[in-house]
Amino acid sequence: MIDSQQASAALDDINDVVQRVRQSQIYQIASLIIIMWGVLVFVGYIANYTWSPQGYAIWLVIDLVGIAGSIGIAAFSGVGRGTGAFAIRLLMAFLLFIAFGIFCSAVLGHFGPRQMLVFWPVFTMLFYALAGLWFGYAFIVIALGSSALIVIGYFYAGPALLLWMAVVHGGALVLGGLWMRRI
Amino acid sequence: MAELDEIIHQPLRLRIMAALNALPVSIGLEFARLKKLTGATDGNLGAHIETLARAGYVSVDKAFVGKKPQTTVTATAAGRGAFARHVATLQEIIAGKQP
Repeated sequence: MIDSQQASAALDDINDVVQRVRQSQIYQIASLIIIMWGVLVFVGYIANYTWSPQGYAIWLVIDLVGIAGSIGIAAFSGVGRGTGAFAIRLLMAFLLFIAFGIFCSAVLGHFGPRQMLVFWPVFTMLFYALAGLWFGYAFIVIALGSSALIVIGYFYAGPALLLWMAVVHGGALVLGGLWMRRI
Repeated sequence: MAELDEIIHQPLRLRIMAALNALPVSIGLEFARLKKLTGATDGNLGAHIETLARAGYVSVDKAFVGKKPQTTVTATAAGRGAFARHVATLQEIIAGKQP
């Protein structure tokens, strides 16, 4: 038989492993979603660069496909079972965040195309960073890395901003997602 | 008076069962991920999984993904029950209900 101190240490050990498993599950789902968004925004920027007048329509399609894909991955991923209510709260938080972004960029700010191009990625990366405070440092690293590259592009990429965004924003999301799967 | 499960009580086997038990029923963990989550080495992990499998606490499925062999370990119903009883016993010891 063991004493209460050893029993307590064993329970701590169990809690530590359970915590690791939960974080690993979150990373498995989130990484797929991040990689998918990386590919989508890459396609979006290239399409926007190629057919500039259709910019709003292109991003509307990209966003709708991305949101549907994110919900699909979360819903059909086996490792996400049992987290339904939490996932819905997270989705609601994301939608409120997006609504606030629309209010800021379209109602209060009257941003031009170049500002809009930079505002939305940086704003969504803020959501990633906030999520990282609960779900793990990988989200924060991806958010800060992407945001820094996007802001650099805003000031220095000039007319090649869309191409810069395709490579650094899309690329950072894909690489970040792949890295997250290896943690 | 409940007894500690001697098979589960070994530290690495306790971590393996804790990891598998944290997943939904019928969902398993691939060997490499289990190794990372429990901090075990290859040989060590293999030997302890075998002990748990012999006791009927885990099932081991081996398959090929492309050309790579992939081993997936899943907690059985018996394993989940034994783990729950083991945790309850630990809690009783902490609460002072057991000597």
